[in-house]
Amino acid sequence: MRQKIIFYLNGKRKEAGAEQASMMLADYLRYDQSLTGTKIVCAEGDCGACSVLRYFPHVPTSVDAQNYLAVNSCITVLAQLDGSSLVTVDALKKNEELHPAQSAMVKCHGSQCGFCTPGFVMAITGMMEEKISKSQTTLTSQEAKNCMTGNLCRCTGYQPIIDAALSIDLKNVESIKSRFYSDHQAQELRAAFAESVHIESEHFSFFAPKTLKEALLYLKANPDAKIMGAATDLGVIHNKRKITLTKLVSLHLMSELYSIDEKAGMVQVGARVTLTELRHFMKDKISEFAHYLDIFASPQIKNIGTVIGNIANASPIGDTPSAFLALNATVCVYGDTGEREVALSEFFLAYRTINIKPGEIITAIKFKLPEVNSTLKLYKNSNRKDLDISAVNLAINVAWTDQTQKELKEITIAAGGVAATPLRLKKTETFLKSRPLSQATIDLAVKEFHSEFKPLSDVRATSAYRRVLIENYFRKFFTDAGVGQ
Amino acid sequence: MSLPHDSAHTHVTGQSEFVDDRPAMKNELFMDVFYSSRAHALIKKLDFSEVLKMPGVVAVFTGKDFHHNLWGTIFKDQPILAVDKVQYAGEGIALIVATSMEAAQRAKYKVIIEYTDLEAVLSIDEAKAKKSFIMDSRKIERGEVNSSMKLAPHKLSGKIIIQGHDHFYLESQVSIAYPLEDGQMELHSSSQHSTETQHVVAHALGLSAKDVVCIVKRMGGGFGGKESQSAPFAAMAALAAQKLNVPIRICLTKDDDMIMTGKRNPFENEYDVGFDEQGRILSLDVRLFSDAGAYADLSTSIMERAMLHSDGSYFIPNIRVVGQVCKTNHHSHTAFRGFGGPKGQATAEKIIEEVAHYLKLDPLEVRKINLYSDEGGRNLTHYGQLVKNNCLAKVIHQLEKKSNYVKRREDISAFNKTSTDFVRGMSLTTVKFGISFTTRFLNQGNALVIVHNDGSLQISTGATEMGQGVNARISTLVTRELGLPRDAARVMPTRTDKNANTSPTAASSGTDINGAAALLATRKIKKRLSELAYKLLDIPKEKWASKTAGLGTQPEVKLETPNLDENDPNAGAEWQSGKATYFEMQFEDGWVFHPEHPTKKIEFKYLVLEAYLNRVSLSDYAFYKIPGIEFNKLTGQGDAFLYFTQGAACSEVSLNKLTGEVKVLRTDIVMDLGRPINHDLDVGQVSGAFIQGLGWVTTENLFYNDQGLLLSHAPSTYKIPNVQDTPREFNIELLENDENTSNVQGTKAVGEPPLLLALSAWTAVNNALTYLPRYHKTYPTIRIPATSENVMRALNPDAFSVWES
Repeated sequence: MRQKIIFYLNGKRKEAGAEQASMMLADYLRYDQSLTGTKIVCAEGDCGACSVLRYFPHVPTSVDAQNYLAVNSCITVLAQLDGSSLVTVDALKKNEELHPAQSAMVKCHGSQCGFCTPGFVMAITGMMEEKISKSQTTLTSQEAKNCMTGNLCRCTGYQPIIDAALSIDLKNVESIKSRFYSDHQAQELRAAFAESVHIESEHFSFFAPKTLKEALLYLKANPDAKIMGAATDLGVIHNKRKITLTKLVSLHLMSELYSIDEKAGMVQVGARVTLTELRHFMKDKISEFAHYLDIFASPQIKNIGTVIGNIANASPIGDTPSAFLALNATVCVYGDTGEREVALSEFFLAYRTINIKPGEIITAIKFKLPEVNSTLKLYKNSNRKDLDISAVNLAINVAWTDQTQKELKEITIAAGGVAATPLRLKKTETFLKSRPLSQATIDLAVKEFHSEFKPLSDVRATSAYRRVLIENYFRKFFTDAGVGQ
Repeated sequence: MSLPHDSAHTHVTGQSEFVDDRPAMKNELFMDVFYSSRAHALIKKLDFSEVLKMPGVVAVFTGKDFHHNLWGTIFKDQPILAVDKVQYAGEGIALIVATSMEAAQRAKYKVIIEYTDLEAVLSIDEAKAKKSFIMDSRKIERGEVNSSMKLAPHKLSGKIIIQGHDHFYLESQVSIAYPLEDGQMELHSSSQHSTETQHVVAHALGLSAKDVVCIVKRMGGGFGGKESQSAPFAAMAALAAQKLNVPIRICLTKDDDMIMTGKRNPFENEYDVGFDEQGRILSLDVRLFSDAGAYADLSTSIMERAMLHSDGSYFIPNIRVVGQVCKTNHHSHTAFRGFGGPKGQATAEKIIEEVAHYLKLDPLEVRKINLYSDEGGRNLTHYGQLVKNNCLAKVIHQLEKKSNYVKRREDISAFNKTSTDFVRGMSLTTVKFGISFTTRFLNQGNALVIVHNDGSLQISTGATEMGQGVNARISTLVTRELGLPRDAARVMPTRTDKNANTSPTAASSGTDINGAAALLATRKIKKRLSELAYKLLDIPKEKWASKTAGLGTQPEVKLETPNLDENDPNAGAEWQSGKATYFEMQFEDGWVFHPEHPTKKIEFKYLVLEAYLNRVSLSDYAFYKIPGIEFNKLTGQGDAFLYFTQGAACSEVSLNKLTGEVKVLRTDIVMDLGRPINHDLDVGQVSGAFIQGLGWVTTENLFYNDQGLLLSHAPSTYKIPNVQDTPREFNIELLENDENTSNVQGTKAVGEPPLLLALSAWTAVNNALTYLPRYHKTYPTIRIPATSENVMRALNPDAFSVWES
């Protein structure tokens, strides 16, 4: 049992006890390590100025994750970086030579006031790492934009930064991995990963067990402990000084929770699988889901944020809950009595309240891949297309009786942003299944549809706008499916 | 290829130091501000007992602790901290000092406060009804508005609602105050106005200006938000530093910064316009109303600039512009890139579009027919200034071709006939932005240029660097004059003990004023060095001071001509090179020589050493004032500006009919920037300003609760443009020319004007709407910003009324 977390920062081994482990990484870098290149602006993961690169070498799944990926340091609790290798902007320059991402930013005038610049440099460097690892030597304008979706700049209008990314010669660049991730480091981190962590102090404790059993025992003895996924929400609430982080449990040392398993069309996504990895998986399985994830949060969030986190958070405006509801997913829960499964449609009880008992742990989410003759559509509206939280979202999944796609066999509909929880719209589903599909049916179904929720007016949208939007999406689904034509 | 920003290489490594990057001193303490949650209320009870019990808390201060608690740039009407009464939600009430920033922030929640609410004014309409105004209304008038309106063949009336706009500089308001010996105070502040910060701090603390030094190294963005409003935060830190005698750091969170500080003023402008069949405007009557928030700040000046820009780029023979600043219970609104300009221009561009719509003409034709022009005396503004070197017709001609306007207009019409889910629109708008502070005395600056005896230079001016590249431009001007590479000079942090009585770096004038002053100071040195070199080259090298000064065997080389005394940065300068020549000596590539004896030359750095040894001063200071500003605010007449920066943009947008989402498909810009000192930095200003303006007119939505407390106070809820929001195709072209002889080296100011071009995207949204049957007869009334919800409401108002009736 370790009493300290262990990680690497810019090639140097670091250990941290309670005092530092409870800090946000950005604060630790700036105020403990005097690495002030990393900037803090929003402290909520919405601007990317705090971006650093993180490599977590213990993940058994996809190639995409086997890299240094950009993450937001402002909302990342240091404790959760146990076992990680980190690189910050301060270390990017090699001797006197700028990293290609840096020299490109200089050459193309990608920096004006300089405050967002380190974050953009890290986002671009992260994109380069992926390219290098895949031996890809070209970059499209859209890819350049995609890698910086999580970064805000108020000075340049972005064009010079896009130009900078596009000007980089990807053929002869040394990867961050080869520069910073030594064999010795690999060995040290592997050794650390093999051992559980328990940090205990008067104000802060952190427990990272190796097995679910250990976790369960701890949670039983410490009912006030909170399981932390990637803390992309917890970190925000902490930074807004609405909570203090006192007792955290992390499942990051359990290899088995990092996998996505597919057996006979049934997919199980482990509790530690990130949204980036889910997107990677979905690309070939459910492309609609992959596209949906493209306009979900930022690369920095997706690179560390977990799928289960997005579900367990139970936000009514979360993006994946409605999609998974439409896929009829079930949540796998581990507790005293062993494993049990909860249908996602029974999972969200009330505002931010979920159907698990104290001490239980969510281990995975399971869903069936859509059948051949089926249509899944995921709609999302937000004030800004990218890197914004939904005003509303709507997921519709239809299994058709045959390839003519005229008659419904099954339909599941789920919505976000219209009620206190993500919502399955079962009345509408039943209504639609009970009669032949026609424009008249849809017009009547719309009434049923609206009766199932009562959206609020808030900073993102008025109630009426939410209704207008979600109705338009609803109608669009059936128009696109050829109903009424 | 233009030189990069002078700090680019340290920006990209994270090495550039911003205020909060300064290492904390051992005894340094941290400050947070407790602020009001009420719009307008008496403070009934204020209790800090629980705050003082919190871990790490050292002290609490209130407005009563200041020597003088009132500040204000134009009128001293604003308390640094509210005492007894609050006038807006977000108004500072108390300062909490603790051993860490987190401790201070957490303790803030423990303040016990009770209010007695007073009636609040939270909109321009309410302010108008209650006559809640700041100063009397002002008027600029020309011609016979009433009679010409009556006679006009066509008339329209309308209104434009313009919401506020948060600066969203990435670096929040931040200051560190270091108490020094003998009661002095040193401030490091993220401020566009070092002098005002110095003065506000001195006044608040009861010190004289000599005891306060304000230092500004750089800002992580300013955009006007740090012109006046950084000063009170510096004063807060300084107060605690004075009382506790330790360094104090104040660094607002993004949330608190957005809640506390003012924005671009909201405006609601009404107009009546009379015009003929061709769309020529004959008469215009505009009433501008701005929301100042609770205090005056710069709002009266902002209104003035709005009034001066209500003509847009268009000659209107009979025009009356009346401006009234309203006092409300919102945060005190302030300068923001463009000042009042965008609100005036928006009104003018909307009127043009609306006239064209009414007459079923292409708006571009209506613009052309109304443009200022040298023909027919149509070149005099409503405030009586001649529009000189007017190149708008040329700009529009170039842009029309470049953007393929006519063809694309046809394509759009065709597209809109068939598309079910999208509707497109396109618009070409203009800018004619007056350059100079309209307040004459602000148009002055000074610079100190130091040549060290190794030939390297340090330059100090009152200009503050916020990313715009003013330092890069100034060092270019100075080193070019001396024939040196730019990195021979370093522009030093702005300090009030080097450059006093400076103006804010604002009104796009940073380079115009400070660059001119630096150039004039450089020429003073250059003149002396030229005379010295001229004489030195006639003396055998072995007799030069560098060989003999130690022994004193040779007479000193004496300069006989008087010091240069000049206010015109272009006087005596050769136009193409921009360089002035004295004693015919040439300064090129690090060498100084006489053109008739080019081989007989001396290296600049040795000449400098000779100058030192011959007791010739290697430093100089110069003062510059912009000539010809004669604008009488009472009559509203006169030359308000030195010149105009002009340009135009054409934007095409697509509206999603199902969601109201706006996508800018393409924007083309042509701008006249005279002769840029640094082409690429100027283009960067154009693209940055345009995208910032695009946020203002589309996604950036300030959302308040019923107490006027801002709820969209972080990027999670306040959406500035993201990289994906940039136009799919974005082309910027500069119309380079030599015509602007009145400004330093023929350059033109660029900071603000291109922001106004983003209005093209907003008018394009309106234009798209006009393709819908609903708007064939009546022009849309969408506000700024055209958020997706606002657009959806315009696209399909009936869908909303079902739920809202």
